[in-house]
Amino acid sequence: MPLLRCLLALACLWPALLWSCLAGSCLAAARPFTDAAGRRVEVPERVLRVLAAGPPAAVLLSTLAPDRMIGWPRAPSPEERDFLAPALRDLPATGRLTGRGGSANVEAVLALKPDLIVDVGSTAATYASLADRVQAQTGIPYLLLDGSFKATPETYRTLGRLIGTPEEGEALAAEAEKILKSVADAVAAVPEEKRPRVYYGRGPRGLETGLSGSINTEIIEAAGGRNVAGAGAGGLAAVSPEQVLVWNPDVIIALDPDFPKLAAADPLWNGLKAVREGRVHAIPTLPFGWVDAPPGVNRLIGLRWLAGLFFPDQFPQTLGDAVRDFYRRFYRVDLTPAQLDRLLRDAAGPGPAR
Amino acid sequence: MSEAASAAQGRPARRRSLSLAVLLASLAPVALLLLVLVSLGVGRYPVPLADVFSVLVAKVFGQATSLDPAVQTVVLNVRLPRVFGALVIGAGLAAAGATYQGLFRNPLVSPDILGVSAGASLGAVLGIVLALPVAAIQGLAFAGGLAAVGAVYAVGLAVRRHDPVLTLVLAGVAVGALLGAGISLLKVLADPYNQLPAITFWLLGSLASVNTGDIAAILPATALGLVPLVLLRWRVNLMSLGDEEARALGLETRRLRPVLVAGATLVTAAAVSVTGVIGWIGLIVPHVARLLVGPDFRRLLPASMLLGAGYLTAVDLMARTVAAIEVPLGILTALVGAPFFLWLLAAGKRGWA
Amino acid sequence: MILEARDLAFGYGARAVGSGVSLTVGEGEALCLLGPNGGGKTTLFKTLLGLLRPLAGRVLLDGTDLSELPRRDIAKKIAYVPQAHAAFFPFTVRDVVVMGRASRLPAFASPGPADRAAAERALATLGIGHLAERIYTEISGGERQLALIARALAGEPRLLVMDEPTASLDFGNQARVLTQVRRLSETGIAVVLSTHDPGHAFLCADRVALLHGGRLVALGPPAETVTPETLRLLYGVEVAVVPLPGQGRAVCTPLIG
Repeated sequence: MPLLRCLLALACLWPALLWSCLAGSCLAAARPFTDAAGRRVEVPERVLRVLAAGPPAAVLLSTLAPDRMIGWPRAPSPEERDFLAPALRDLPATGRLTGRGGSANVEAVLALKPDLIVDVGSTAATYASLADRVQAQTGIPYLLLDGSFKATPETYRTLGRLIGTPEEGEALAAEAEKILKSVADAVAAVPEEKRPRVYYGRGPRGLETGLSGSINTEIIEAAGGRNVAGAGAGGLAAVSPEQVLVWNPDVIIALDPDFPKLAAADPLWNGLKAVREGRVHAIPTLPFGWVDAPPGVNRLIGLRWLAGLFFPDQFPQTLGDAVRDFYRRFYRVDLTPAQLDRLLRDAAGPGPAR
Repeated sequence: MSEAASAAQGRPARRRSLSLAVLLASLAPVALLLLVLVSLGVGRYPVPLADVFSVLVAKVFGQATSLDPAVQTVVLNVRLPRVFGALVIGAGLAAAGATYQGLFRNPLVSPDILGVSAGASLGAVLGIVLALPVAAIQGLAFAGGLAAVGAVYAVGLAVRRHDPVLTLVLAGVAVGALLGAGISLLKVLADPYNQLPAITFWLLGSLASVNTGDIAAILPATALGLVPLVLLRWRVNLMSLGDEEARALGLETRRLRPVLVAGATLVTAAAVSVTGVIGWIGLIVPHVARLLVGPDFRRLLPASMLLGAGYLTAVDLMARTVAAIEVPLGILTALVGAPFFLWLLAAGKRGWA
Repeated sequence: MILEARDLAFGYGARAVGSGVSLTVGEGEALCLLGPNGGGKTTLFKTLLGLLRPLAGRVLLDGTDLSELPRRDIAKKIAYVPQAHAAFFPFTVRDVVVMGRASRLPAFASPGPADRAAAERALATLGIGHLAERIYTEISGGERQLALIARALAGEPRLLVMDEPTASLDFGNQARVLTQVRRLSETGIAVVLSTHDPGHAFLCADRVALLHGGRLVALGPPAETVTPETLRLLYGVEVAVVPLPGQGRAVCTPLIG
């Protein structure tokens, strides 16, 4: 009877064996990963549908793996659509999960069935705890990656590996490194006094600015400029025209496309050195802002642009070529001459005042 | 009641309030002028006081001047409109506040009670979200302020209750809450990188971007709004007795009240459209003026206007000189106004004498 | 006759507080209205002043319906003396009295010398000239009531409507106010007043109207209308009406116990 007993034991135990096999294979199918905020996240083996939690993540994802994107946090405007790859134009709006004003409906997120949620930006405790909450509520792994400018190549490589596009991730990381390095080399050679003093103007009358240290203006320093609003505290602030006159910047970059024309005509501004010399530039924003809206990898071309503005002799390649290459490589878009012209026109500014 | 008996009540006759009023009436304009000169001479751009005078004199007499054009720009295009704006808006907000306090028989009422600031804010926020030019944003703010008070008044007329003033206040609370919800909704829909900061700064109030065009735009509305307040200045005293007593004394309150509300609203809407929401001036300044010159609106109105003009000029001077960045005016006026308000509550006697 | 109420129904909104009231007030006549608390005396006064719309019937001032007259014209002839209440703003007594001139001033005018003189006269008539510079919110209840009467007089009306002018006044002040009422009607100004003490009717009134259940149950000289029977009907208590020998009037006092 020992054989019968053995068979009986096996018959009772087989569900447990089966379960442990299955569980084991499931566990094997998810890879544990520690994200940039130090959180342990179980990333699935096959990642086919990725949700971007906010605009910087969306930009990154659209450059790295557009076929795996399931939506934009905010639907692109008609103008922005023209500058996006056809496959990306009609993705639905999914809302933002975190950051300034989360507007995503959690049930809608679940309905989209993403395999992974990716957020690129600050890794501070607030955002880490928000990530934990969303992950716990939805059961979908939520990755928080470093969105700081210098970490761009690293983030590309990491995300490429995780979602199964390591070659593309490596390639884009290398491109980003190329841009960062070329700018850093050009800037390193320039002494402090020769670096241009830059005023970043936004808001209805150009009187809102980003203080040095804020994420809005970090590429100004990276490009070798000196932000005149040098409080070092970060953030945005309002200033009076008098203060701008005191600062007397060498270069003005403005978010409002009409600002260069307005400044040339307004007696408050046209006495400034920058306006007289025509060094007032509107920041191109299509499809994503070149300087800060959003603070993502879209700033790479802005970095190249600003460095070229500040130190023209150091960059033999024309801006037009650099822009065309960037848009083709990163945004997968071939710019028409009209589109390129529009971007360059904003970027170049009106020229010296007559 | 015999003289002896009343003297035994213990309060001396208030002769001193009359002489105090006379003293203030003669000193106040002088003090204001001094404040204006100081404001024109002080700022982040270093301009010697002599140069300030030269620029002003040259402008007045149409002469050319050899001074640095930047200095001229600072004095004529930056400081002058700003100081002038502070004078006009401070005076206007204080006048509106004094009028509302009389109309609503409550010394703790501010011009926002009928929702003019909420309506103007909604208009401006809408303009910012739609990325309209500045002139359109200001126009929407002005229209929004007027429309809000119009709506409140319409509700007040439709709801015929015993106390028309209380009805207006309650309608103002409800409409204001509705408008606030609208503003919050727009904030959610706004682009958080570009528009939301602009909205936040607008709502905090600032004179930083005021130029001569803005002043020219608001002067007609402010002057027009002040006309009924000045013409009806004695009748405002009677309106503060309440609707029934005022009517019993012979006033057509049903006609007077909307005229006074319209005047005060015009002034406030014009101010808010250019500077954003600056609170506490319409509340605190008339109250202080009442403590100095008494409640008679014939004296209270000019006193409030003088005090309001000076107060806002002084606060704006602080806002633009303490740091490289502008401190929003709403914050400064609240930092001064709120503790003062609490002190008033603690020290106030019945009757607010 | 100056003021006439014809079959008047009065109240707020749809709710009638009283109805079927008809009375007249003649030149220089003093009419006293008696009734219990909440009986509608104030509502009736406000309707007689034109501050409330009649629910039925009419109020005629010198033969013209009140609803056809602008407020200014009504205020020139009828002045209202409300109960002395706490005011919000610290006006001087002189400022308060001058407010009574509003009905005599054109739309945008402020009071001039003539108006200030009229205010002085009103203050003198009431013997409170020494209070002119005092703050209204700092004087006693009785002084405030006198100031309000002076305000009403400053407008030179022909009829005064006084709502419980002796309420919450001490004994001496009550007597002073009632003396003023007597004097005013002697100078030709009609007075309609309400009071909580039936004895006051004997002190100052030519005629008394009794308001009970929203209806006028009696109208006539005090001796005929203020009797123990009518007072029992009005107030629900036993009252003794005792004539004062040699004074031509009586004292009313409740019989308790």
